[in-house]
Amino acid sequence: MNEETLTLYYYDELDGAKRRAVEQALAGDPALARRYRVLSRRLDALAKVESHSAPSHVVARWHDVIDRAAAREAAAARQPRQSFHPGSFFWGSAVAASLAVGIAIGVYMTGGSIDPADTPPVANLQEPVPERGNAFSRGLLVHFQESRNQLNGLSPEANGERSELIMSIIQQNRLFARMAKQNDAQDLARVLRALEPVLVNLAAEDVTADEAARLQSQLAFELNIVLTKLSRQVSDDTDAIDI
Amino acid sequence: MKNIVTTLFACLLVAAPATLVAQSNDTEELKIAALEALISAPPERALPIVQRVLKSDDSDEIKERALFILSQIDLPEAQALLADTARTATGELQFEAIRMTGISGDTAAMAGLSAIYETGNMEVREAVLEAYLIADDSDAVYQIAADTEDPDEFEAAVETLGAMGATEQLRQLRDRTEMSEVLVEAYAIAGDVESLQTLAADASDPEVQLEAISALGMVGGPDVNTTLVEIYRNAASEDTREAALEGMMIAGHDEGVLQLFHESENPAQKRELLEMLVVMDSDAVWDLIDATLDEQQ
Repeated sequence: MNEETLTLYYYDELDGAKRRAVEQALAGDPALARRYRVLSRRLDALAKVESHSAPSHVVARWHDVIDRAAAREAAAARQPRQSFHPGSFFWGSAVAASLAVGIAIGVYMTGGSIDPADTPPVANLQEPVPERGNAFSRGLLVHFQESRNQLNGLSPEANGERSELIMSIIQQNRLFARMAKQNDAQDLARVLRALEPVLVNLAAEDVTADEAARLQSQLAFELNIVLTKLSRQVSDDTDAIDI
Repeated sequence: MKNIVTTLFACLLVAAPATLVAQSNDTEELKIAALEALISAPPERALPIVQRVLKSDDSDEIKERALFILSQIDLPEAQALLADTARTATGELQFEAIRMTGISGDTAAMAGLSAIYETGNMEVREAVLEAYLIADDSDAVYQIAADTEDPDEFEAAVETLGAMGATEQLRQLRDRTEMSEVLVEAYAIAGDVESLQTLAADASDPEVQLEAISALGMVGGPDVNTTLVEIYRNAASEDTREAALEGMMIAGHDEGVLQLFHESENPAQKRELLEMLVVMDSDAVWDLIDATLDEQQ
């Protein structure tokens, strides 16, 4: 049983049958139960907003990791095309991601958003989430809608706060890409994976205003297309182009 | 009604000569909105309109949006057009066409990417790697890594494999010892505990060994926790001990740190372990502090 399923179980986001299956597995598998306890503690801890000072040698190692990632990003920025470097992105975000992923998942799974006050309502862009369809499709619709609204409400200035918000979208996006693959929705998984490089470029703190506007426009377009198709798919509209 | 709307959008997109249309932002936005609406049209009606947009004098931005629509049209002609654009376009439009090929995942179009990679410059090659990542085609990326002698090209391919979680393909590259550091990062990204444990136990290259120990913490899990505690206990150097402790912190293995605290008879080590427990917000830390202070009174 993978970590995503256990995380969904923790946040009470599994439907009845899957939830019972997890409960049975936890009852019969001590190793799994232990893994779940560890995961629960981590997610509990992430919910607490507390900060501590790390020892200097640990901070130095973190800085080393981040500096390496930053050096690679800087090298990439010197190239004419903003390209996607999965490895450097991973290392650059690894420390933050390991701390933030639980929060990001938690925020999503509890139905909240990162900061609703910063995401003004967008006229005519809030498709109703269909009651039909499976939990994955409905969850994905909500993810796309929230991502689009958050991106629409982004601060025009590149800064740490904006980067952090985009990183949280990326974390959710990764979770859904994995879930899409597990649900054998390869077409959706491809679209989700394709969004990540664009989001990564937008998250860069040195992105110019023009480039950010271009990337936001691209993301808005692609999210609108996917939302339109997914909404129809979930609603069983046979006129839609198969995604 | 849908047909009328489709026809109107088609007229808006391609019938008006570009010279008669002011190239204002408003016009661009209107065209993009029209393209967006095309997704509601039947595929056989949407395809000719997209074809005309791609052949028009419209801006690259509009053509890039048209390419995304094209990637969503499940018709062989649409996929053939996408493959052709990926091969013949230049600059950003080519990069987008390559990305869209990955999104479409069409077998024939994907097969064409290897020729584009062979003849392309580094930017084109990165775009192809990205398309393989999007399409989850790890075999194609492995082939690139296995065939190349260029360190930059190897690194880009290995990083992509790591991001794809392609454990098997990465293990097949383990004999590329001159690139061990790159591979360690990729193993961590892919969550390959077995490969990292092997490297963490291998002292032939201390730098790679420390990288592997730290990287184990990123992966986490019960096996990793046990390994990291053992590495700490048996460490021959302070660097190794620090790397193991850092790994436990990243993995959130406070039980292991607590266990090591109780075992240790070295005051400096005990202090370091206690600091780490505070950082990790361990439930046991306050009792431990009480007990430590009591002992010293």
